[in-house]
Amino acid sequence: MSQSACIEGSCMKEACVEENSEKRQEKPGFKLFGEVSFRSFRKHESSLALFNWISILLFTFFLFMAFFPSSLAPYAPEERFIPYEAPSGRHLLGTNDIGNDILSELVFGARISITVGFAAALISTLIGTVLGLCAGYFRGVLDELLMGFTDVVLVIPKIPLIIVLGAFLRPSIWILILVLGLLSWESTARVTRSKALQLREAGYVKSAQCMGFSPYHIMTSDIFPNIIHVLLPKFMLAIASAMISEASLSFLGLGDISLKSWGIMLSFAFFRGGFIRDMWWWYMPPGICITFCVLSIALVGFGLEAKEKEYSEEGANIS
Amino acid sequence: MKQRKYFTGLELKAGLKRQMALAMLILTLCSNILPAGAAGPEDSENNDSENNLTLSKEGFFDRLITYIKGLYLGEEGETQDSGVISEAAAADVQQSADSEGAVLKIATPSAIKSASFIGDSNLGVFTHLSNPPLMKMDAEGHLVGQLAESYNVSENNTCWTFYLKDDLYWSDGEKVSPEDIEFSIRYYGKETPWASWINDTLESSTVSDADNSVTFKFNKPYTRVNMEFATYNLLPAHVWETIENPLEYISNGPYVGCGPYYLKLIDLNAGKLIFEKNPYWKGKAPVSGTVEIHFYSNVDVATLALKNGDVDTYYKYAGSYPYSGIEQLEKTGDFDFLEKTDIGLVFLALNLKKAPFSDPEFREALAYAINYKELVRLETLGYGEVPNRGFVPSAMENFKETEKLEYSPEKAKENLEKAGYSDSNGNGILEGKDGKDIKLEILIRSEYARTGELLDEYFEQIGLSSELKTADADTWITLKDSYDYDLTVIRSTPWGMLMHASWGSGYFDSRRTGQGVMHNVEDPEFLQLCDDILATTDPAELHDYAYELQDYYAENLPAVPLYWSKSVTPFNRHFEGWYSDPLYGIYNLDTFVNVREVEA
Amino acid sequence: MSGIARKVTRYFASFMLIAVINFTLPRLMPGDPIKNLIGEDVYISEKMMEELRLELGLNMPLSEQFASYLSDLLHLDLGHSYHLHAPVAEILLNKMEWTLLFVGISVVIGSLLGGFLGALAGWKPKKKVSRLTSFAFVVISCIPPYFLALLTLYLFAFKLGLFPSKGFYDTPEIGSVLHHLFLPTCVMSVFSASRNFLVMRGSVIQEKEQLYALYARAKGLHDTGILFRHIIKNASLPIITLLALDFGFLFSGALFIEIVFSLNGMGLLIYDAIMGKDYPLLQGAFLVIAFTALLANMLADLLYALIDPRVRRPA
Repeated sequence: MSQSACIEGSCMKEACVEENSEKRQEKPGFKLFGEVSFRSFRKHESSLALFNWISILLFTFFLFMAFFPSSLAPYAPEERFIPYEAPSGRHLLGTNDIGNDILSELVFGARISITVGFAAALISTLIGTVLGLCAGYFRGVLDELLMGFTDVVLVIPKIPLIIVLGAFLRPSIWILILVLGLLSWESTARVTRSKALQLREAGYVKSAQCMGFSPYHIMTSDIFPNIIHVLLPKFMLAIASAMISEASLSFLGLGDISLKSWGIMLSFAFFRGGFIRDMWWWYMPPGICITFCVLSIALVGFGLEAKEKEYSEEGANIS
Repeated sequence: MKQRKYFTGLELKAGLKRQMALAMLILTLCSNILPAGAAGPEDSENNDSENNLTLSKEGFFDRLITYIKGLYLGEEGETQDSGVISEAAAADVQQSADSEGAVLKIATPSAIKSASFIGDSNLGVFTHLSNPPLMKMDAEGHLVGQLAESYNVSENNTCWTFYLKDDLYWSDGEKVSPEDIEFSIRYYGKETPWASWINDTLESSTVSDADNSVTFKFNKPYTRVNMEFATYNLLPAHVWETIENPLEYISNGPYVGCGPYYLKLIDLNAGKLIFEKNPYWKGKAPVSGTVEIHFYSNVDVATLALKNGDVDTYYKYAGSYPYSGIEQLEKTGDFDFLEKTDIGLVFLALNLKKAPFSDPEFREALAYAINYKELVRLETLGYGEVPNRGFVPSAMENFKETEKLEYSPEKAKENLEKAGYSDSNGNGILEGKDGKDIKLEILIRSEYARTGELLDEYFEQIGLSSELKTADADTWITLKDSYDYDLTVIRSTPWGMLMHASWGSGYFDSRRTGQGVMHNVEDPEFLQLCDDILATTDPAELHDYAYELQDYYAENLPAVPLYWSKSVTPFNRHFEGWYSDPLYGIYNLDTFVNVREVEA
Repeated sequence: MSGIARKVTRYFASFMLIAVINFTLPRLMPGDPIKNLIGEDVYISEKMMEELRLELGLNMPLSEQFASYLSDLLHLDLGHSYHLHAPVAEILLNKMEWTLLFVGISVVIGSLLGGFLGALAGWKPKKKVSRLTSFAFVVISCIPPYFLALLTLYLFAFKLGLFPSKGFYDTPEIGSVLHHLFLPTCVMSVFSASRNFLVMRGSVIQEKEQLYALYARAKGLHDTGILFRHIIKNASLPIITLLALDFGFLFSGALFIEIVFSLNGMGLLIYDAIMGKDYPLLQGAFLVIAFTALLANMLADLLYALIDPRVRRPA
């Protein structure tokens, strides 16, 4: 499953750096370099902006597909026609093995895939933030405990956990979301922790402590708002990673078969003879959709990250 | 000028360091590969491997660089690459081809997991070839002798005598004797859990060299011993009597066998089994010098191997070649298909302990609600037929032509009305006798996902709300055994149909528990029928009982058969002489001694 | 001393926790290992099943099972697999050879490639080539891994017929092995490379703005010189951490690649063990993976502290 972490990998570097926050403080404030390449910076910014706009557009398109599927899909996804049909005027992407129109299935699948990604990312970000904040703020034994706990969670494998939970509870989409959410908060926790470590040395935090505010109050009203712009990109990347994990788990048959996400579509295409019969209109579209949706989310995340860097560069010296 | 010289000097140095590091890495890796390659099974092509090694060390280096180049230059890099690789591979193939004669290659999706001759169940199927059992099932489903010339059973069904054929020899030259039979059966009884019944019930066994026979005496009457003995592979006593723990005995071969071939090599890393001709086989001589079984962990790859000619046919125990690939093979024009109606089938099992499924009228209605023709079309792609109410498929012995199942949603709704299920609160869903909406939960394993979806739709159409619940194999078993389900889709295997009192009774008799069986019928009429069947070996009586059983199924519908399917085996047109039996499909001795390559 | 001691205790505690989870998780899963051992078509009596359970030690109360599990661990005895009829340690060692080979090579190639290209792209991020490569790698990291593997298999092995479609080799020789492993290794390296590429690129971009880079430029050092002599050392720190993590997870194989390419590796072994409820094998495999992952993590931490002296300074 290490491949699913590749999206977050780009931020792991930050995490490693963050963990040793001393390194950050070394950043010099020399502007000379920046001024010299000002013109190239402007050009860079405009094409970067274009990139950002395309990814935001793509993302909105997928969101639209998720919220208003009936406006894009020609038929209801459960309606059945003649199976194994090639693309034609009536069925732009043909039909699958029991006769559902593939285009409609694709459009309605967006809702499910994105929901899974979103919900799992929400859970993981929430857990990660809370744990990271506590670890970073309180330090000491709690810190070590939580980080040790993080290490353990890193190693727990997803597949058996899904099977176990699926056996106890109804095997459904919620199990999937739960497991994906519960096992991928590690990097968020690391990043929040290092940021919290940094921020707790700030003047206003110290004065709040002097004034006698409870740690909970300090964390929520002083530290947390400053962390949000770090969290947002991590959230987006968590969505991307959760979507890829969902696709992989659906392939193994561990997803919820009654809800046709893109991953389940791919799994059916494979196991019901879509690949062997060269039915590219069946297996390519879901794969491409997953790729582009994840891509747009990841790019939005990277864009937000770049923005965040700008903030921290321009921001006042924290100490 | 100075800058450039400086620059090139620098880059070279950095580049050189990099190259050296890379070289070191690769050398260490290659030195690891060498022992790995040598530690593989005893293959006597040492000289060649050395040459290959030197060739490949360079190849590796070049490959790395061309790969990077390829990344930036695109396609050309790759094709150059593959040239180097396929040359080496071609050289390999050449050498191996020269040393053997005709090879028969069979693809199978049932991979073996460990090289344990006795312990691995998939391996047990394939070793039929090298260690055939005493009895076999012929193409029409009758039990006949394979290694046994004939057999007879005493009046009270406790004493079975088998007469061994005279011309059987082990691959190490020893003659097969009745002691081997006695040894094998007792060995299985003692050492393996699935044959423990032998240990429990075998009273005594005697060997008679005079008429080449062995007699088994059981402490209670057994009518199906001949069938059981069609599944136990014969072992050479002189080899296995020294092996303490056979289930744990791991070896990659060769194993001594008395069939037309013996098992020479188990190669798990290459994913194949190699059988070589038994030099001491006195029966009809097979044409191919070698039989190879290739394992593919996904079926599409097996199909493509068939198309490419890498394998000649496909085999899966108790399974058919997937119907979706048939079209592809037909297109190539190189394949013919052997079609046999399976004696196993897919059916819908109901939880007879729960209302409303305990109500036979309700079950009738459900049976009318299912569109069988559509299921046959979508699930078997035409290689199947609508089943009869009698459950048992036509390929089974003593088949009775009971009524065919009908699809009629109107009749279904009528029946439900008549039986007292109506929709009083107008929400479109019928209520059960307890006044609550009927919610059907269809429990399925993931391989029956599509069937489950279709059933879901059919039941919704007649006014019952239904939903699907998926479970993995083990959860499914737990739920089934604790009767925690409404409906479930399940398949019966050929052997399963023959178990217990045959004709599928093994799946329903509530006194029998096991992994794949439903054990949900407690009706004393049914149980009595099973006991009657088990008490006799008289064919006429069995015929009558079989008919009674099928009538029982037709009338009461303890389970609704969904479709009968054909077992399809594709084989390369260049071969002919295939035989298929209901138990093991094409994997039987008749096939192997008769199949031969013909000029197309 | 306290820093290292703390870290070590932390890892040790994690390991203990993992051992406990390792014991409970397979047992929580539904399904009876005995039934899986027997197979679908066979019928054995309850008494027989009880005897089997006795033999395999499954009828003891959980606490006793746990105690025996711990004592076995201390003797480095990973138990005996029901389904594969061999000691777990032996099975793992056998499968590990080949898995390590192809996963190990992929990881190494991936990190070298990704690192190299990432450094180049990070150095000149605005050039067309860099932008294109970055975009390509981002796209690749967004593709579901099995999808790419399937497409590669279909394209190269089937349509073009360049590569074989299953197994580690046809005959156990180097040429055959390389031929068979080329495609799976490629697919895995590409994914590994894409991740390393992105990390390295970001890292180099950040390092570029440091004072020492400016100084080197002021000295008159040429581009490649600055890049490969100075920046790369500092920028590769996150790569080292990632590499360590990857090596830690080496033993878990690559399940999807193995399924698609019909390779007989650790990934499939573990998957079958999960589906077949082979407790000892599952426990043994997870323990090994957890151990190596933690070890790798610890090494990465230590390595990081070793290479970057700033980290060693007290907080």
